[in-house]
Amino acid sequence: MNSPLSKPSLYRIEGGDLPLSGKAMLELMSAVLAKGRAFRFQARGWSMNPFIHDGDVIYVSPFQKKMPSVGEVVAYSQPTSEKLVVHRLVRRLGDKWLILGDNSVDAIGEQVPDSNLIGRVTRIERNSKKVWLGLGPERYLIALFSRTGRLMVVLTWIKQGFNRKL
Amino acid sequence: MDAQLNGVYSPSEDVVAREIEGEFIIVPLAAGIGNMEDELYSLNASGVTIWKLLDGKSSLKEISANLAGEYAAPLVEIEQDVLGLVSELLSRKMLVELTSV
Repeated sequence: MNSPLSKPSLYRIEGGDLPLSGKAMLELMSAVLAKGRAFRFQARGWSMNPFIHDGDVIYVSPFQKKMPSVGEVVAYSQPTSEKLVVHRLVRRLGDKWLILGDNSVDAIGEQVPDSNLIGRVTRIERNSKKVWLGLGPERYLIALFSRTGRLMVVLTWIKQGFNRKL
Repeated sequence: MDAQLNGVYSPSEDVVAREIEGEFIIVPLAAGIGNMEDELYSLNASGVTIWKLLDGKSSLKEISANLAGEYAAPLVEIEQDVLGLVSELLSRKMLVELTSV
């Protein structure tokens, strides 16, 4: 006979207090998206800077009937590591996608088959406020500059021009 | 909502529950999203044992009797614990009541 049961309890886990691996997050996200719901979580890392910052909260939604398209930010399972990654679709290459982080210094990226795509990023929040740039029509230009390796140059140029005006 | 000993319960369709990396994680979906930031729950070991027995077929009375056969604890005490946990899970819409037998 087993030792007595401890009192059963349900407890809440505070956001960020659960150090899940990328693989675990991927499993959880896939299960939520399979039910047709969005998945809200905190982004880690700077690979999508300046459009997604470390600590931003992002929403990933299932593709459903609308197929992924160039410029969209997607969550996918990295073919080499099977880890969860959130980057941008920048070019269609046969039956694969060329996917790049916006903060990449080159246009190499990685080629990912459709079957590895999990969902699309539909909302970004920073300090509880919606981030407006990165997911709208400007996504086509971002993808264009990104795949030619000129995104960071263009963004730096825009920033310098903006600063001069101030 | 209070659970009944003769009630039969199962996990709601509006919930994702997974045992991942040693942690039993419950993500409620009732608000339309799986919110890893603000709406994430877990159960302790006893809670997980009970959750896994909520199969939509067995009543809480039967589940409690099974647990009493396996664990060194009085049946009445186990029934109270099971009722307490199931009531809390019901109030958070993580379970649905299928029927009372």
